[in-house]
Amino acid sequence: MKRYLLILCFLAVAVTASAAWMDQLQKLADPESKERKILSGTTQVLSSSKEIDYITERTIGEALALESMQRFGKPVAKETMQQYVNLVGAVVAQSSLRSTIPYHFTVLDSSVQNAFAAPGGMIFISKALLETLTDEAELAAVLAHEIGHVAAKHALKSTQRAQFLQGVGTITAATSGGKGKEYQALIGDLQNKLFDQGLDKSMEFEADLAAMETSYRAGYNPLAMIRVLERLQKLEASSVKKGSWFSTHPPLKERIARLKREQARYPDAATLAELPERFRGKMK
Amino acid sequence: MRNILVLGSICLLLLGCAATAGDLATTTSSSAASEIRWVVGTGTTLKAEAVASSADILPLAVGAEVQVLENAGRWLKVQSASKERGWVFAGRLSATPPVAEVTPSEGLLAASAQQSQIEIAKADSARSIRGLSAETEGYAKERGTPLEYRQALDGILARRVSKGEIISFMRAGKLGEYAQ
Repeated sequence: MKRYLLILCFLAVAVTASAAWMDQLQKLADPESKERKILSGTTQVLSSSKEIDYITERTIGEALALESMQRFGKPVAKETMQQYVNLVGAVVAQSSLRSTIPYHFTVLDSSVQNAFAAPGGMIFISKALLETLTDEAELAAVLAHEIGHVAAKHALKSTQRAQFLQGVGTITAATSGGKGKEYQALIGDLQNKLFDQGLDKSMEFEADLAAMETSYRAGYNPLAMIRVLERLQKLEASSVKKGSWFSTHPPLKERIARLKREQARYPDAATLAELPERFRGKMK
Repeated sequence: MRNILVLGSICLLLLGCAATAGDLATTTSSSAASEIRWVVGTGTTLKAEAVASSADILPLAVGAEVQVLENAGRWLKVQSASKERGWVFAGRLSATPPVAEVTPSEGLLAASAQQSQIEIAKADSARSIRGLSAETEGYAKERGTPLEYRQALDGILARRVSKGEIISFMRAGKLGEYAQ
């Protein structure tokens, strides 16, 4: 009898404890829960302690900008278009999770449909990709995708070569003297990632979700991101693949399917700004 | 004696379940009342009413935590850390904390998680005065980058949009808090 009683008591304690533990687990699984937010905040601070500082990031971004223009073309010589893209970009950037750094948006005179972000907030979109868009919400979505890469520092996280910066005191020391060659190798590696190989699939999906969330916060219809990808899907067969969004990003079918699963999070999407007339006026 | 012990155990079981259920109920109500959001938009202010033209109560820095008191669609009634209450456009807040900028400490990769907005502002204003940084000029020289591309990059870095231009652009497009 004593044995049964002991088992019964043990069960009582175990049921109580496991129910409480399951409750905690459920709270952590819920993205809106306080517990989950606190945990994600802590993770972010811990990971940022190993990250690169803005000035170094920006200097690397400038070197990549020089390389990208030599590969894809110089900025389009149309100041009204460049200023417009910078305004749309600024509206989106101020709603992003990294709103306090300066961003620079540039339309490159390129016939390859592409957009990419160099570290530190240097964002490029090709004239060809811009011409496939039909309204401001779509432009905002593409720029928000690239801002998502900058905010998460995806490019630098994608290469082991950035490790050589460990222990180097200043960016001047990292780019000159004996370290100069290592710095050039890092830029070469990043060019390969951004212009040819592409970033990890998970980073692209993360940037797609960030694009919807950020453009929604800015007041644009977030479903415009899905429209852009669907249009590109139709153009894929007849487009240049090398160095384009087609070759450096995951398959469009997979990206569209993932974003469609998120549509329900934006029930008021259709009431938000798309601004096709303003967009068309600036593209002339 | 045996019956008493069995009864006692059953009571213990029931008490355990009741305590858990009570804990769940308390948590549900408290989490609804204390939903936390983070300020992500630069230039965010706590407003007296749920409209962009309303009076400013308090500027809210990026990264500041606010407690949501009431949800009125695109505007949220919130309480700041200093216990001030007012309205904020929902698009200026996020359920995820913003990225914390870092400053170098022991080498460029081992940066501390301190806010470094002063460093960012200094770096950006220096660019506007003197064009490309010495490091980028050095890289371009080393790689033999033609002058036209260095000039093009200088032009990109020199292009700026002011806060006033962004607000006018948002008003004209009825974007964000100017949608009403």
